[in-house]
Amino acid sequence: MLVIATSDKGGTGRSVTSCNVAYRRALQGSDVCYLDFDFGSPTSGAIFSIDPVSRGTEGGGLHSYLQGKIAEPQRIDVWRQTDRETLRSRPPGAGRLVLLPGDQGGGEFSMTKDILQRCTKLFVRLLEEFDLCVVDLSAGRSYAAELVLAATAQQELRGVPHRWLVFHRWTRQHVIAASGLVYGRRGLIEAGAERGHDSQVLADSIRFVRTAVVNPDSEELAGLRPTQVVWLLDCNKDLQELARQHQLGRTMVLATIPLDPVLQMREQLISDRDVWASQIANAATVAAFDQLARRIADDAAWDEL
Amino acid sequence: MPSPARSDAGGDGAGILIGEVHTGLLLNSASLRQDMLPAVLGLLPGERVRSFERPISHAVSPELLVGVDCDLSTASGTRVRGIGTLAVRAAITGGRVLQGSAWTRLMGGHAEHRLPWSHYLARPGVVETVGRRRNHPYHADLADGFLDRTNNRKAPGIDFGAICGQIMGEVQRSPYLDRRSPFKAARTTLRWVAEESPERRIGFILGDDGSRTTRITFDGQPISAVIELCEDLALHDWLLSTLLDVIDRGMPSDGPHETMMRRIRPAVDHLIHLWMPGARVVESLLPLWESLDTKPGFTRQWDTLVNRIRDQLALRTLTLLSASAEGVPGRNEQGIRS
Ligand SMILES: Nc1ncnc2c1ncn2[C@@H]1O[C@H](COP(=O)(O)OP(=O)(O)OP(=O)(O)O)[C@@H](O)[C@H]1O
Ligand SMILES: [Mg+2]
Repeated sequence: MLVIATSDKGGTGRSVTSCNVAYRRALQGSDVCYLDFDFGSPTSGAIFSIDPVSRGTEGGGLHSYLQGKIAEPQRIDVWRQTDRETLRSRPPGAGRLVLLPGDQGGGEFSMTKDILQRCTKLFVRLLEEFDLCVVDLSAGRSYAAELVLAATAQQELRGVPHRWLVFHRWTRQHVIAASGLVYGRRGLIEAGAERGHDSQVLADSIRFVRTAVVNPDSEELAGLRPTQVVWLLDCNKDLQELARQHQLGRTMVLATIPLDPVLQMREQLISDRDVWASQIANAATVAAFDQLARRIADDAAWDEL
Repeated sequence: MPSPARSDAGGDGAGILIGEVHTGLLLNSASLRQDMLPAVLGLLPGERVRSFERPISHAVSPELLVGVDCDLSTASGTRVRGIGTLAVRAAITGGRVLQGSAWTRLMGGHAEHRLPWSHYLARPGVVETVGRRRNHPYHADLADGFLDRTNNRKAPGIDFGAICGQIMGEVQRSPYLDRRSPFKAARTTLRWVAEESPERRIGFILGDDGSRTTRITFDGQPISAVIELCEDLALHDWLLSTLLDVIDRGMPSDGPHETMMRRIRPAVDHLIHLWMPGARVVESLLPLWESLDTKPGFTRQWDTLVNRIRDQLALRTLTLLSASAEGVPGRNEQGIRS
């Protein structure tokens, strides 16, 4: 299956969350690949701690492939190549985890018929080998998003499930922006219909992921003054209402990822060791990634509307 | 890929054969019916798809020709330009396994420069070196250069990977396939070199990086027989590594029964009956297969794996049976029969 990660605003946590979800899904035993389609700033190499490609590759990445300069884009086996020793070597029972990096200094490009065809070919190629292909787009309405919308509407990819995750932070501005990206003018659904998708089917394959959410009930907030807690709870209620009005209420939310101290400081994978041995990350964060990784592939989570 | 090739052209015994076989899973939910094979593999209008039902369903696309003009890989790093054509075809075995296979015969050319294309087209499936003609050690340099994937100072050589990838991609995107395969499997690549010699021999190396190489010497068999041997070897190597992977992942001894079944079931259903080493290999090359079967012991490894699966399934069934006999409701029993 294809899972496409997008967001309206930049810096929502889209890449960090998707990388962690790819990692968790691989730990759960699936074969996973991660495609960095954020051609302007391909940062996934840094999140997987693969130093030579931390800002994209020089060895023929997705950008070069789509432009027809190379026959196949570079693949990096994350288990073998990550610089983090605790992540190196595939744990027993885990699936493959492969990164297809973007190119250094790639930049955006407009879509042509050839590029569309190469993109479709690539997806078919990867679906042969991987249970899950995560495609990380750039923020906002991009050519890459248009390209993926068009590719998933091609005859070759009919019948292959593709699901969209729209990431947003849990604030007024972000809720409104995320809603606009999906339902607004030139939004996902409208643009998708123009590319040949059935609007209803497309709408059913979109879910939202709230990132870096502060849970007002959490024990870390135990030190807050009662007035602060009341204020937070009120804000939260207002946001819930706002989200509902903008069609991203509860049933549309696939996951809520808590604010995590490690991710606040650094873009990285969170291993179980970070939680249990060094205790720098929160167990709730890993649990949320783990659950999202399961729900992505769980048909029931997508049927309940 | 415009024109048909005929692989048995030439056959004067000179030069070396080099090629690659890529093997992967066909993107379809059910194994492909025999009568669908011509449609899926009919990549060249007017050219026939050859298909066989016995001993196992197998079909081969027409052979296509691809022109090349590039520096060849040499172990010594010497620059050698090669010009000519490769032959490439796709094959489907058991309605399940897809292969892309490409090869050419490397021969010393007489010309100092590139000749008109008509010259090369008259020699389908041959790549000629340009420049002074040298012989035997020169072949060894080309053969070693082709098989050695670690030396990155040498010229990258003919891009067999792209050519095999392209023909497999065309099949996988066929309108006759639904692209919902019951499980996923990594592709493997077998790179091979074959030379004529009075003594028949075969060697197979599986590198740490997952690369597979094989060297063959043969005596007088047609090229097509050598290619079929390589394809058969690649097929069984892929079956073995795919089953190994499924088992590695699917058999944590304490995992829940349903998880194990979900992982192992596809292998049981779709792969196990495909094991038939040598089924399509000509009699005179069979001893080569048999020698591989004694040394790396392909069939022994396969049997061990299959037995492990059977034991596991039997054990699980027993556990479930005894659980239900004791009145404890058995867990999901689905999938045990078969
Ligand atoms: N759950 C979280 N808790 C705290 N910080 C987070 C969390 N998720 C992400 N972050 C941080 O937010 C910042 C932005 O994250 P990230 O780069 O993943 O966003 P993005 O949406 O991919 O941004 P861009 O649009 O630039 O690609 C990073 O510093 C990241 O570490
Ligand atoms: Mg990003």
